[in-house]
Amino acid sequence: MLKIEEIQSLIKTIDASSINEFTYEIDGAKLELKKQVEQQVVQPTQPVYTAQPTVAQQTTVSASEETKEDEPIQAVSGDYEITSPMVGTFYSSSSPEQDAFVTEGDKVNPNTVVCIVEAMKLFNEIEAEVSGEIVEILVDNGELVEFGQPLFRVKTK
Amino acid sequence: MSSTRERIMALLAANSDSYISGQSISDQLKISRTAVWKQMKVLKEDGYLIEAIPNKGYRIISTPTKLSENTLQWGLNTNWLGKSIEFFEEIDSTQTKANILAQQGCNHGTVVIANKQEAGRGRMNRTWYSNNEDGIWMSIVLRPKVLPAHAPQFTLLTGTVLADVLSKKTELDIRIKWPNDLFIGDKKVAGILTEMQAEQDQIQHLVIGIGINVNQLTSELPDEIINKATSLREETSHVYSIRELIQAVLHAFEKAYDRYLDTGFSEIKTNWENRGYKMNENVTYHSGNVQSQGIIKGINEDGALLVQNSHNQIITLYSAEIDW
Repeated sequence: MLKIEEIQSLIKTIDASSINEFTYEIDGAKLELKKQVEQQVVQPTQPVYTAQPTVAQQTTVSASEETKEDEPIQAVSGDYEITSPMVGTFYSSSSPEQDAFVTEGDKVNPNTVVCIVEAMKLFNEIEAEVSGEIVEILVDNGELVEFGQPLFRVKTK
Repeated sequence: MSSTRERIMALLAANSDSYISGQSISDQLKISRTAVWKQMKVLKEDGYLIEAIPNKGYRIISTPTKLSENTLQWGLNTNWLGKSIEFFEEIDSTQTKANILAQQGCNHGTVVIANKQEAGRGRMNRTWYSNNEDGIWMSIVLRPKVLPAHAPQFTLLTGTVLADVLSKKTELDIRIKWPNDLFIGDKKVAGILTEMQAEQDQIQHLVIGIGINVNQLTSELPDEIINKATSLREETSHVYSIRELIQAVLHAFEKAYDRYLDTGFSEIKTNWENRGYKMNENVTYHSGNVQSQGIIKGINEDGALLVQNSHNQIITLYSAEIDW
């Protein structure tokens, strides 16, 4: 028969291993060891898990509440920027005699041409790429713009 | 154009020194003798002079001088450029038409050509005088897989192609005025208009418009450009075949385009700088509503103009109006 120390050692080893059940039989004597794995997992962790999502949900809720609070402020100046894909000159209309493509307050859809950026006489018609309302025009006609420079602020739908 | 017709034309072109029998054409194209005969009839109606001798076969004597989809395809040895040619006797603008075709999804390399343009245009909707049959008015649709910021390089590429082809044909010193005009002396002989539809990171299509004054006489030009424009004929007293010139341009363009995609912009830059108009000369320029002066030194790796100011600093101009 196993000594008590040996059993303790076995328990420790099994505890640290991935074995869930252990049976040992010798001379009619039987030792059966079972981990309370499922229960252990279910019981102590489940409350934790349910608790965590609650906490997480609370934080998400509070986070979205925060953005909601921010939105009215952002909405005034728009939540999307149309940027320049290249270095060049910004033109608000297709020729000096024409009206500007868009003015503040105009509604745009993704295919609306909002301006032209010219580089090396290549006239690139810039499309809004979003639906919404032009809330601010950030550059003047004839102004030089950099790659990635914001040209318009749009309040998206 | 039907592919049968294209193949018959290729066979005739390849055998222009001898005769090719109807049977041989029929065998090679796997069509009936009657079909061969019908195709020949259509070609003759289009202005091709084809000699047909019994027991010998067919021989092409001459191709029509008049432009048409067929005559433009005749002898055009390109791989992808101009495989589809849209030809118009008269059109408002090849550029406008090419833009429409591009939006409808036409192939990379589609070429729109017109005999006459009623509303030929330059940039900012300026008019380009082209209401005559004496020039080349065409637009090329391209779908390059490069960033939109690199698109202006195709204007400079086109400039070097035109300068190469025209100076070879005429032996004149053709200069490129940055970025998109070709000059002989101080007069404009050709212009390039590049238009693009692109998203932030990819080009949907590029349309390169090319206008070349070939056989006009200066006296026929409108008053407002009479002192600013010239033609190849005016400079050399020769009348040129529009068709041959178009084909030479398309051929050279395809080569230069493929080479650019393989090796980049540096060769074009070198070639451009050898042909730049007013290189090392002092000019006044306006950029972003500011007027300055500087000496033209060349172009950078993007194709932007390099100008040296009075403090010996090199200024890079991506966008400027220059008082030439």
